Amino acid sequence: MIKGEIKMKKRLLVMLLAFCMILTMTACGGSGEDASSEGSNGDNILRTAASFAYPSLDVHKEYYGWYTSIYGLSEALFRFDENAVAVDCLAEDAVAEGTTWTITLKDGVAFSNGSPLTPDMVIRNIQRLAEVNERFSYFADFDWKADGDNKIIVNTGADVYPMLKNDLASPECGMVDLDATEDFDKNPICTGPFVIKEFIPEGDVTVARNDNYWGGDVKLDGAVFYYMQEDDPKLLAMQSGEIDCYNSVSSAALEVYEKEPDKYVVESVAGTRLQYYILNENRLDDSVREAINLTINKEAIADYLKGTVSPANSPYPDSTAYSNVTIPAVDTDKAKKLLEDDGYTLGDDGIYQKDGKPIKLNICYYAARSLDTLAVLMQEQLKAVGIDSYLTVEEDPDSTYIATADFDIALYCMISDKCGDPQYFIDSTLADGSYYNVAGFESAECEELIKQLKVEVDPDKRADLANQIVQIAIDDNAFGYVGLFNHTTVMKPGVSGFAEKIPFDFYGIDANTVK
Amino acid sequence: MSFRKQVAKRILELIVILIVLSFLTFLLMYLAPGDPAEKRLSSQGVAVTKEVLQAEQERMGLLRPFMVRYGEWLGGIVHGDFGVSFKDDMPVAPKLAAGLKNTTILALASLILSLLVSIPLGILAAVKKNSVLDHIVRLLSFIGNALPNFLISVLLMYFLCIQLNLFPVVATGSIQGLCLPALSLAIPMSGRFTRQIRTEIMEQLGQEYVTGLRLRGVREKDILLRNVLRNASGHIFTIVALQIGTLMGGSVVIETIFRWPGIGKLVMDSINARDYPTIMGFVLIMGTIYVVINFISDILYHVLDPRV
Repeated sequence: MIKGEIKMKKRLLVMLLAFCMILTMTACGGSGEDASSEGSNGDNILRTAASFAYPSLDVHKEYYGWYTSIYGLSEALFRFDENAVAVDCLAEDAVAEGTTWTITLKDGVAFSNGSPLTPDMVIRNIQRLAEVNERFSYFADFDWKADGDNKIIVNTGADVYPMLKNDLASPECGMVDLDATEDFDKNPICTGPFVIKEFIPEGDVTVARNDNYWGGDVKLDGAVFYYMQEDDPKLLAMQSGEIDCYNSVSSAALEVYEKEPDKYVVESVAGTRLQYYILNENRLDDSVREAINLTINKEAIADYLKGTVSPANSPYPDSTAYSNVTIPAVDTDKAKKLLEDDGYTLGDDGIYQKDGKPIKLNICYYAARSLDTLAVLMQEQLKAVGIDSYLTVEEDPDSTYIATADFDIALYCMISDKCGDPQYFIDSTLADGSYYNVAGFESAECEELIKQLKVEVDPDKRADLANQIVQIAIDDNAFGYVGLFNHTTVMKPGVSGFAEKIPFDFYGIDANTVK
Repeated sequence: MSFRKQVAKRILELIVILIVLSFLTFLLMYLAPGDPAEKRLSSQGVAVTKEVLQAEQERMGLLRPFMVRYGEWLGGIVHGDFGVSFKDDMPVAPKLAAGLKNTTILALASLILSLLVSIPLGILAAVKKNSVLDHIVRLLSFIGNALPNFLISVLLMYFLCIQLNLFPVVATGSIQGLCLPALSLAIPMSGRFTRQIRTEIMEQLGQEYVTGLRLRGVREKDILLRNVLRNASGHIFTIVALQIGTLMGGSVVIETIFRWPGIGKLVMDSINARDYPTIMGFVLIMGTIYVVINFISDILYHVLDPRV
């Protein structure tokens, strides 16, 4: 009896183990059926990796419009071309005459449900945007009126507002069918070449071709945006053929791709995300600031960062008309001479000192956007000419060293050009009392030019004014512009139209994207 | 004290611990540097003026007295409401529930995998002490334990996805998507478990009752399976229970690399965004899990070994 029981238990145990093994083999084995098999079946679906994912597709809220634009869902009245110029999209043109702008919509523009885009719908979209997005609340101060079937008249009040056309090219100004959309967070009805197929909040996004696209044929059947934060899995997914392209390529991955040009196409353009430093005029002598700017070698820094950054010749990409400024070339001998002429003497430790006090600068930074590497490289370069420094890392620069101005050199990274216009960066960093002008930069001439820039409508004259303003800050050694992050895209051969030549981060697939 | 009275006392202690934990969690978030309102505004690209900041702080309820906020938060939790995320204004409870569900699946899968490997290997290594097999098992468990998670993950991806084409790199939610992250967690865990099980079994094998059983002519296999393993199970269970607590905290690295939407990744994103309601909810849930698992393991330990 007992023997029989033991035998029975043994059999049960063997069966259980066999079942476990079979389950494990069937569950884990095989050749992955997910993205890899889909990728190899020759369909017309583009698969890509997205480094960021958001909880909502509400075009007007926060920065979600950037992503609905990348997914090819939403379009604004204008869009930026490769030279950061606002060109026609849903609207033909916008013409200013004093404080009045006339916007002309294109004929035949319709939402994915077939409803036409009317001037009234545009105005309601703008009103909603002003209501739900603090950055665009100023739109509520303007007077928007529909004029006939395809015109909108905008009165900007007492002041001329020259940036309206560029602002309307911002992806947050994407048009949504406010009457037909039932769920703004998950399924906005827009005008783009694609419609949402599946949206996982803070996860993957799948889009399908908009068969009613007003702009004509859409070449892809659809696209999948896999949310992948890490660089290594993106590289491996590209190597295994599971994804067709992605941007924000890391320097390590770039080296791999560049070794196999027949397998991978790499496109790189200087973007608009700027690494720069602020020199504290309240603490540093003119000679020290100038010596720092003559010492920091941005070419060497860009080399070290291996293709992820281009040396900045101004705060803006070289392709723009407002990047024509002159920055003195690196000259360490001149830097040393400047210090010596100002009474600094070289100590036994190789560090310049004045009145017995050696130079010891506080370089503040936060560990993101390669600013940690930049801080160390700057420290090394400065030490080589006799300027000693120490590093202070903060998690949140805005509430620490930017708020208190307790630094000698502050490192920061921000988008210098959000809408094909220089004013945003100038307003943020150079205008009196602006958020990042915390270290004593003041110039009456600069203020006067900024006043002119605020009302100048002509793009050429705006560029000229911007160049003069930035040049004043450069000549004053108030800042140092180090690098512009490259907008780098890797694609399989045959893939194109993934916004690979546009310096902005908010474009992705469109009607002409092919794989 | 009777067993029932002990259990009742532990439950009472558990409630007190959780209340203290909730208060400390709230207090720490309150004292943490950085203003969530400022963080939120700057992440939205809004120029943070005094007026704008104050309005946002008001909207987020940050200007009310500490105890009022704590009371409301605790009251909400009692009703299953963990508040609203500072990051995106979405309710915290569903986010935590989804993350916790996925983390539980991953934790259990990796635990089963590692036990399937480490129990037989640990026993074998103990029984064949100082043999070649024992040395190999010890070496492998040492290596497995020493390898960092991210390295194991990338190596597994490279060999199993690229070289052998057994799995997709981009797995989405299927059981295949679970295999590699579970394996990545199981490898170092197996290393630890194998060494601990080996030590425990060896200790039991050196006990007098084992000598007695051998002298009575009981077969070695029966001694091992019926007596040694049973007596060692209490200790092994404690090790496993503690590991469950750690696993339930989520593994940010594994979850990020394998795109597994678990709680570790959710919390890391929340910390970066100063999303205090999500962080507080996480800490409270994790604290509860730890305390409850410890409580259950103590009871089971008592059941498995009545001498304790």
